[in-house]
Amino acid sequence: MKFFLTQYLSLISFLIIPLVIFWNPSWFSLMGSQAYWPIFWLLPWALINGPFKSMLLGFLLGLILDTINADLYTQIPGLMLCGFWFGKVGIVNHSNNSLIKFGLTAAIGSLICSLIYFSQMVLNLLLENSPLWLVEYGVQHIFAQVLLTGILAPVFCKWLYFLFSKKV
Amino acid sequence: MVKFRRLSTSRWWNKRKSWILILFFLGLLIVRLSKTFIFRDAYYFITKPFWPGEYQQEILRKSINQELNIKLKQLEKDNVRLRQLLDLQNFPESNKLNSSVISRNTGSWWKKILLNKGSQNGVSPGDAVIGPGGLIGIVENTSKLTSSVQLLTAVNSKVGAWNQRANLNGLLIGVGTKNPKLIFYSKNVEIQIGDYILSSPASTLLPPNIPIGIIQSIDNESKPNTIATVQLTAKPEAIDWVQIIRMKFQ
Repeated sequence: MKFFLTQYLSLISFLIIPLVIFWNPSWFSLMGSQAYWPIFWLLPWALINGPFKSMLLGFLLGLILDTINADLYTQIPGLMLCGFWFGKVGIVNHSNNSLIKFGLTAAIGSLICSLIYFSQMVLNLLLENSPLWLVEYGVQHIFAQVLLTGILAPVFCKWLYFLFSKKV
Repeated sequence: MVKFRRLSTSRWWNKRKSWILILFFLGLLIVRLSKTFIFRDAYYFITKPFWPGEYQQEILRKSINQELNIKLKQLEKDNVRLRQLLDLQNFPESNKLNSSVISRNTGSWWKKILLNKGSQNGVSPGDAVIGPGGLIGIVENTSKLTSSVQLLTAVNSKVGAWNQRANLNGLLIGVGTKNPKLIFYSKNVEIQIGDYILSSPASTLLPPNIPIGIIQSIDNESKPNTIATVQLTAKPEAIDWVQIIRMKFQ
């Protein structure tokens, strides 16, 4: 059992992500906004596995999240871009994985994903000629989400990085 | 003469990794095609022991009683008026279904909650969901055991609303924040801060006269419409029990 868990940890943890998204623990929230959970898994995985595999995993992760949220907009481009960038960070600086690095990288990744998603929403509102009431909430939500993701990332990412790298 | 022959173990179909990869992609395909119903139903079973208990049902009953008192007064007025004008749709008590909230996503772009009743219980997309205080959202999609509800605060949410005092119909639009906007498509309407907002009797999508909220502020500068900000009476971020009004249930 222990061997099985160690061997397929990435796969098992990947399949657990949607359940965490449904669970969505509300006690980790700031100004009513919650952290961007997929980043916590994608960052440590990408640091170990490189940019191209991570980009693919970003695509698959986005595909599942889009299916869960059943929305007009997509998270795929943001997660693919983050996967690629996280992988590059892992190649360039694979020996120095400090807590600050995890926090900063996750925060910037969260910012990229949020901005891409938010711009799709704004574009859709512009095409519909609807008022841009969303902007005020969007800016506040992105700020809170980025901050919270950056604060929580060192804990979750460092732990997952340790577990994933143990397998390798 | 040396003959080179590939070892049978070097073929891809003899490699365990290839099959794991194929199975993984097949799994993803199933997840994609099933619209994550597998995950949702798995989540249903995992969280079942932790659903809210009797105490919260008691709170729900009290809140519903208060809500019913407000509604009763409203309905009496409404009845007199509508008897003369309209033939309203009828929604008997048997169409209402109690359900508990098993997942809440109110702190992100997607303002949704997941309920533990699905198509198996006669819930279908478009059903209205009410909580203590009034309307909280509309069922967006259902699996066999669960249903996903889009809240009134969601960006894509649009619901017909009615200002009972001024007798005006408007459109309630979610903007992401806790306070949606209400648009009246005319200028100089006689609405006031503190007016009750109910679901519109003109709407064919929702049962009429469900309390929605109270007008919090009015933007008189906007042209050519009048736009008001509404404080919702139901708080989806704190509700554990809701009622689903099954619109198509016989």
